[in-house]
Amino acid sequence: MAGSNFDIRQRISAVTDRVPAVRKHVPSLGIGDRLPFYRRLSGGQRFAYRLLLPALAAMTIVHFIPILWGLTISTMGVDLTYASHWYDAPFVGLDHFRYVLGIENFDDVLVSDTVVGERYRNALKNSVIFSVGTLVVTYVLGLTAALVLNQKFKGRFVARTLLLLPWVAPVVVSLYVWRMMFTQQGIINQTLLTIGLIDEPMFFLIGDNSMWALIFAHSWTQFPLVMIFLYAGLQSIPKQLYEAAAIDGAGRWGKFRYVTMPQLKPVSAVIVLLMLLWTMINYTAPFVLLGGAPPKQANVAILYIENYAFGNSQFGRGAAMSVVLFLIAMVMAMVYYRYLFDDETTGAGA
Amino acid sequence: MIPEEWRLTQDRADFLFDLLSRGVLGLFIVLALFPIYWMVMISLRNPEEIGTSDPSYFVLSLDELRTVVFEGDLDLLASEVDFANYVDMWDQIPLLEFYVNSLIIAGVTTVLALAVAILGGYAFSRHSFPGKRYIGGALLATQMIPGVLILLPMFLLFIWIQTETPFKVVDTYHGIIFVYMTFTVPVAIWMLRGFFDSIPASMEEAARVDGCTRFQALYRVALPMAAPGIAATGMFVFLTAFNEVLFAGILAGGEVTPFSIGISRFQTQQTTYWGQMMAASSVATIPIIILFALFQRPIVEGLTEGGVKQ
Repeated sequence: MAGSNFDIRQRISAVTDRVPAVRKHVPSLGIGDRLPFYRRLSGGQRFAYRLLLPALAAMTIVHFIPILWGLTISTMGVDLTYASHWYDAPFVGLDHFRYVLGIENFDDVLVSDTVVGERYRNALKNSVIFSVGTLVVTYVLGLTAALVLNQKFKGRFVARTLLLLPWVAPVVVSLYVWRMMFTQQGIINQTLLTIGLIDEPMFFLIGDNSMWALIFAHSWTQFPLVMIFLYAGLQSIPKQLYEAAAIDGAGRWGKFRYVTMPQLKPVSAVIVLLMLLWTMINYTAPFVLLGGAPPKQANVAILYIENYAFGNSQFGRGAAMSVVLFLIAMVMAMVYYRYLFDDETTGAGA
Repeated sequence: MIPEEWRLTQDRADFLFDLLSRGVLGLFIVLALFPIYWMVMISLRNPEEIGTSDPSYFVLSLDELRTVVFEGDLDLLASEVDFANYVDMWDQIPLLEFYVNSLIIAGVTTVLALAVAILGGYAFSRHSFPGKRYIGGALLATQMIPGVLILLPMFLLFIWIQTETPFKVVDTYHGIIFVYMTFTVPVAIWMLRGFFDSIPASMEEAARVDGCTRFQALYRVALPMAAPGIAATGMFVFLTAFNEVLFAGILAGGEVTPFSIGISRFQTQQTTYWGQMMAASSVATIPIIILFALFQRPIVEGLTEGGVKQ
């Protein structure tokens, strides 16, 4: 009977599917290979698929379909007229992309639109500065904090809790506090005036300083995350490595240089990538800190896209701009990974 | 020549190094706490004083502080600490409504996202199945997608549903909750997978031998053991939903405005009510900080689990 053959197979796989090493050595019964995909699965595997079904369904609706959809409307002239029936909008091919990337100027659009492309490219540049700047600041702050936390002292747990608070406090709230502190009468200006570093109040939220203010305020909310990742990495470094380094005559610097940093490389790799990508697509920080009319020095791409697409009801072109931003994030991630994993010296990186 | 007793011995170098690192730690703690401290201080100030150029770091000016400390003049302290902001903020903007909206949106999002993510995280932790790598990769890839890329089609979809079908989705609880839930599920799955990984599977196997179904083993045995991790993940989801501004601004800006968007109304064309804004912020922040203090161990472990292992 075919059925009994199937039962045997199921019983074997019930034992073996937990242990991949054993599974390899179980000879195939032949018949199972011809069964349809779903019947070939063991009970545990079917159970796993059933458990994942709600999550996959929801992600399909809110992630995968919208991305394909976003790609579609980035090739269509969707504006206010077509807002409620986007599918009727005319197909424009790659015009939006050519336009926002400045490859070609179009005569059939508004005159002021030439400026839009320039502003968008400027916003892209700002996004990269914001992302790299935040990475550097959070990494330096996070690593320093992790190193001082990693020593044995009384009250270490309390200190760790306190250092995590910037990340725990609701980001929106923290950023409004920073916005308040950065104002002309704010405490930062007052302090600098009292110390005598400046003679008159500085502008932090408009003009050239705004990017620095943005990077710093955002870094304040994010450095605890970097810190806790690196701290966990520091904790997992085997003590023997330090002992061996001490025998070889390494001092504090030597241990840091030849034990700590190489051992932290895998953790650093993950958190560096996450910080780069998350900052690149962060909307909350620039929106709350700089508000609806951000200065051009700190108008990052995602903020610009949102303002432009919804302010002018240019949904198709907005989608094209978001696709470009997405591709830049992807390329950054890929270049970073290629660099990281091709580098022989990292070793532990994989 | 350096005198003998000044020479830098190993002990002294260690001592100096410890001193230095404690100093750096102190600096970091000040840096981390000052904005939070300042938020509370501004909220306790008299609204008229906030804009003045007196750079005192306390509700009292230095002279007043001296009077309070050295002459024990507690009445002065009581008269300077001003709770007016905490009283006035409710009338300035419909703040209570914003809080309630945020609690409903973030609370329901948390419950739904956890329900979905517990199942998914358990599947990832306990089972191997074809395509696991790809599904896991897709979960992480969702983290690189700029919000606007999702928001634009979502907006068009919501508008279409609103105009072409009898359902209402724009500016409703269910609309924004559905979007938030799916947004937080990938990270929640990732965190919960780590928590389930840290629980030995032997108990569930024993339960299976005793006749439990796979699902019973999940919710009767594994679920209670993962409770701290679930609480931590829940808090993470809650905070994510509470802080969201991009989708909330477009899809829920009107009747169901959450706190994250509503708080900006303290800024008007004429003036900004910083004192009241900070009072409202303190009311939102302090419960969250207390909750974090309670659940911090699993939260911290859950966050770093995935990153350190890879």
